[in-house]
Amino acid sequence: MSSSVISVISRFLEEYNSSTSTKLKVVDAYLLYILLTGALQFLYCLLVGTFPFNSFLSGFISCVGSFILAVCLRIQINPQNKAEFLSTSPERAFADFLFAHTVLHLVAINFVG
Amino acid sequence: SGLVSLLVFVLALEAQALTPSHYLVASDVDRLQAVLSQPFTDLKSAYFSVVGLSKLGVSVADSNDACSFIKANVDSSSIEALFYAAEASQAISSCEIHVSNETRDSLHAAVSEDSTVSQIHQAVSALSSLGLPLASQEVVSALKARISKEDNVVAITLALQTASRLSQQAELGEILEEIEDLAARLDDLGGVYLQFEEGLEATALFVSAAYALSDHVDMEPPLKEDQVIQLVNSIFSKKSWDSLSEAFSVASAAAALSNNRFHKPVVVSAVGPATVSHSHPLLQLHVTDVLCQPLSSANVLVESATSVASKAAILSQTPFTLRDGIFELNFMASKPASGYYQFSVAVTGDSRLVANHVELKVKVSTKVAINNMDLSVVDKDQSIGTKTTRVEYPNKGKASFIADSHQNFAMTFQLVDETTGVELTPHQTFVRLHNQKTGQEVVFVAEPDSKNLYKFELDTAERKTEFDSISGTYALYLMVGDATLENPVLWNVADVVLKFPDEEAPSTVQSKNLYVPKPEIQHLFREPEKRPPTVLSNTFTALVLSPFLLLLILWFKLGANISNFSFSPSSVLFHVGHAAMLGLMYVYWTHLNMFQTLKYLAIIGSLTFLAGNRMLAQKAVKRYSLHHL
Repeated sequence: MSSSVISVISRFLEEYNSSTSTKLKVVDAYLLYILLTGALQFLYCLLVGTFPFNSFLSGFISCVGSFILAVCLRIQINPQNKAEFLSTSPERAFADFLFAHTVLHLVAINFVG
Repeated sequence: SGLVSLLVFVLALEAQALTPSHYLVASDVDRLQAVLSQPFTDLKSAYFSVVGLSKLGVSVADSNDACSFIKANVDSSSIEALFYAAEASQAISSCEIHVSNETRDSLHAAVSEDSTVSQIHQAVSALSSLGLPLASQEVVSALKARISKEDNVVAITLALQTASRLSQQAELGEILEEIEDLAARLDDLGGVYLQFEEGLEATALFVSAAYALSDHVDMEPPLKEDQVIQLVNSIFSKKSWDSLSEAFSVASAAAALSNNRFHKPVVVSAVGPATVSHSHPLLQLHVTDVLCQPLSSANVLVESATSVASKAAILSQTPFTLRDGIFELNFMASKPASGYYQFSVAVTGDSRLVANHVELKVKVSTKVAINNMDLSVVDKDQSIGTKTTRVEYPNKGKASFIADSHQNFAMTFQLVDETTGVELTPHQTFVRLHNQKTGQEVVFVAEPDSKNLYKFELDTAERKTEFDSISGTYALYLMVGDATLENPVLWNVADVVLKFPDEEAPSTVQSKNLYVPKPEIQHLFREPEKRPPTVLSNTFTALVLSPFLLLLILWFKLGANISNFSFSPSSVLFHVGHAAMLGLMYVYWTHLNMFQTLKYLAIIGSLTFLAGNRMLAQKAVKRYSLHHL
C-alpha cells in the first residue's frame, strides 16, 4: 500500500520536473514559500491562542491572498493555457498580479495594527 | 322636553366659552401709561405719546409744551410729518395747526393710485384731523387699487383705518369685506391665541382699525366671540413693550376693545386669592373691561355655586353688590362647609359683553378644633381594665404612658370645625413619635372610622422594626394639616415610654445615617491579556521568516537569475517605485494613517504604473519578436 503511494509520488515528481518550464517552477517555489509561511502562522496561533486576533488574521489572510494571486498568475502565464487567455499577455497578467498585491498589502497593513 | 334639552345644550356650549387668560391689570395699565408718557424725542414719538395717552383717556402732561413742540417740528413738505402733527394736535385740546394752500394741495395729490397705502392713510388722516374737505370716493378707488397691489396685513389694516375717516355716504362695502379676509389670515395658536405672524403690533393695529371702521359704518365685525377673546389674549399677553409704536398699538387696541358698539370683552378676576373664611367672609371680584376699568353699570350674578366634593348647590341666582369699584358677596352668610366650591358667575347689563360667563373656584377655609382626645394603654389580653386619660388642646398630658410588649397604646380623637362643629377629615393627620435622646422619629397616619372618629393604635411588638427596637421615652405629636385649614396643628400631646422585647440593637445605632462616607470602591483595571513567553514568540518569528530563505535557495537551484535585466530608465524607475511602495507599506504600519498612505500611494503608484507599463511593453515586444523570428 505504502509502496504504491511512494511510487505515485515519485512518478509525479519525475513528470513535474520534466514537463514544467523553469518559469513555472520559479512561481511554484514562490507558492511553496507562501504556503509554509501561512502554515507556520497558523501553527503559532494554535499553540498560543488568538490574541491579538486581528494581527493573526491579517498575516494569515495576507498569505492566503498572496497564494491565490500567485496561482492566478501561474495559470495565466502557462503557455498550455494560452487558448483560454487570448487577450491576456503574460505581461498583463504580471501587471494585474502587482496591482492586486498592492491592494492586498494595503488592507493587510491596515488590519495588522 | 325637546326645548329643555336644547336649552341645556346651549347652556353647555356657553359654559365652554373662552374667557381671557391674559389681560392687563391696574399695574400694567400704569406701566403702559408711563411708557407713553416718556419725553418726546421727535415728532413721531410725540404722535405716539399724545395720541396713545388720549386713547387711554389720559391727557398729556403739559399740553401747551406738547403743542409748541409739534408746531416747531412739523415739516410741511413731508406727508408723514403732517400726519403726525395733525393727529397729535387734534388729541390736544385747543391746539390748532394751520396749513397753507400748497400743503393742502400736496395732501390731496398724495391720494392717488401711485402712492402707497401708507401715504394715502397719512394724507387722508391729516386732512380729516385738520378739518379740511376730502373727496371720499376718490380715496376709496385709490385704496381699492392699492389693496390689490399691496396685499399684506399692514397695508390692508391701514386701508381699513383710512376708510373709517371717510364720509359714510362713500361706498365702503368692499373695504369692509377686507376685515373678514384679514381675520381669516390670523393664526390660531392652541385655541388660546389669535395673532398675525407679523406680530403683536400688526394684530393690535388690525383690531383697532377693524372696530373703528365697523363703528363708522355701524355694522358688526365678522369676529366670533371666541375669536375676540383669543385676540385679547394675544394682544395683552405682553406686559412690557419693546418700542413706543408697540405700546401705542396696544393702547389703541385696548381703547377699541373697551369702547366700541359691538363687542366688549369682560375680565373677571378675584381680588387676591379666591378664599373666604369666618374672618374674611366676603368674596370680592374685579369685573372690568380690558383697560381695567370697573363695569359699574353691570349686574354681576352667581348663577350657581356647587360644592366640588358633594356636588350640592349652595347658591343660585345670587347678586353681587358693587362697592368702590369691587363686586362683593358675603358667601359665609350661606354657612358653607369648608372645602372648594365651583362658582358660575354671569355679568349682564350690556348686550355687547363678551366672555361674560366665568367659572371660578372658591375655597372656604376654616379653623379646626380637636375634641375628645383620649389616650389609653390597653392590655393585650384584656385582663387589666383600660385606663383612659383625656387631654385638652393645647395642654400636654401630665403623666407619661408606658407601653411594653403586653400592652397597646391607643389614641382616639375628633376633628371638628371650630365654628360649626361639623366633623372634618383633613388630608394630613399624622402621629409623630420622637425619641429625644437618639433623634429618631417615626410617623404614622391616623385614620378615621365610619363615624369620623380618629383612632391610632401602637402595638409595640408589631412595630419594633420601625423603631429599631430602641426603647425609651418618645414625645408624641399630633400633626393636622389641609389646604382648607387656617390653623394647622402641631401638638405635643404626651410622652410615651416604649419598652421593646429584645434590646438586640446596639446603643451606638443612630438613625440610618445616609451622609457618612461609604467604603471606598477599588477600581479594577482591565487585566492585560496573557502573552506567550518571549522565547516562543521570537522562535516563531524566526521560523516564519525562514521559508524566505528556502525560497532563495530554491530559486538559486532552479537557475533563476536577473541576467536579462535591461537597465532602461523605465525599468529602473519601475523597480525603484515598486520598492518605494513596499517601503511605504512599512511606514504605514509604523507611522501613518490610511489617508496619508493613500495620498503617497497614489503618487508613487502612478509613477510605478507608468514606468511598469513601459517596461512590460518593451518586454512584450522583445518576446514577440523572439517568438516570431
